[in-house]
Amino acid sequence: MADITVTMNGKQVGGPAGITILELAKQNGIDIPTLCYLEGLPPTGSCRVCVVEVEGSRTLVASCHTPISAGMIIQTHSPKVLEARRVIVELLLASHCGTCYMCEKANICELREVAVDLDVGVPRFPIRRRFYPIEDESPYITRDLSKCILCRKCIRACNEVAKKHVYAMGYRGFDSKVVVDFDEVLNKEVCRDCGICIPYCPTGALSNPQKSRKDKKGPPLVIKG
Amino acid sequence: MTNKTTTLSKNQKLILTLLQEAQQKTGFISEEAMVGIAESLGISRSDVYGVATFYSFLSVQPQGRNVIRICKSLPCHLKNGQEIIESLEKQLGVKPGETTPDGKFSFTLTNCIGECDQAPAMLINDDVHGNLTPDKIARILKTYK
Repeated sequence: MADITVTMNGKQVGGPAGITILELAKQNGIDIPTLCYLEGLPPTGSCRVCVVEVEGSRTLVASCHTPISAGMIIQTHSPKVLEARRVIVELLLASHCGTCYMCEKANICELREVAVDLDVGVPRFPIRRRFYPIEDESPYITRDLSKCILCRKCIRACNEVAKKHVYAMGYRGFDSKVVVDFDEVLNKEVCRDCGICIPYCPTGALSNPQKSRKDKKGPPLVIKG
Repeated sequence: MTNKTTTLSKNQKLILTLLQEAQQKTGFISEEAMVGIAESLGISRSDVYGVATFYSFLSVQPQGRNVIRICKSLPCHLKNGQEIIESLEKQLGVKPGETTPDGKFSFTLTNCIGECDQAPAMLINDDVHGNLTPDKIARILKTYK
């Protein structure tokens, strides 16, 4: 395919037609943070963390789903872009349940990593949070939807990688939620022997069932006085 | 790019038509109906449930005889929509998303119904009622059985 030349951060770079701004940036060693991007799968552009400035565009565009076109002038780390990214991550954190110190993934959480890189700090916005009970019925996956940032990675991993079609987006707006069947608790009837989605989750919403919980299955020990 | 985007098959695009049919026939979309639709279109149950719960005019729970839909979008909100919602809550004794115990009214919030010029507005079944005030609502409710 014909090469397209664009200006990225003041430098002329070229790439084949049809690739996205994000892919071109990767090829040229420019690091654009992402949360919902999955290499090789169709982009959703739901997290907005990868926004970049394109001259002539009314708004910032998500680089993961915007193909390059000839003569584009792109800024990946301008002050405007960084400010937008900070607010986006801050908003994601503000509606995140916020008990990071108790979370298993605290030190490997992608959301936290992006927040640290961008110097977001503790969110300023006291917005409503979504709390859901932890779903630990399944022996393969433990789900804590309070930690979910609705990036849809697990849905795509389940549909396109595992080909199981267990998850889907349900409800609307603030009530949006990743649902299983008719909004049922994830159990081993609907989902078994897989767990492919767990490493895709950028937060601690999906995790491996902890071994320690198995030890708690025995009869309770009651100390009587 | 084009080869990467997923496209729905011609059949799968019929999902809304089928869901609307189910809604019209029984007043709500039952689990059996959703299972049937999922099987006939070859998509997962969760996808059908996702579409059915996205639209405020589709319901997955049984509804009352009359369905009240109050607009919760911005123009109605700016014209004291919240006050209307609260007064209706008081008059019916149920919260949005619930049905009165006698099965007479279901009360839900909906997105814009295109009656912004008469904000705050509501729909009861297919009838539009605009320029609402708490008193007017009481009068309107009496006309429904």
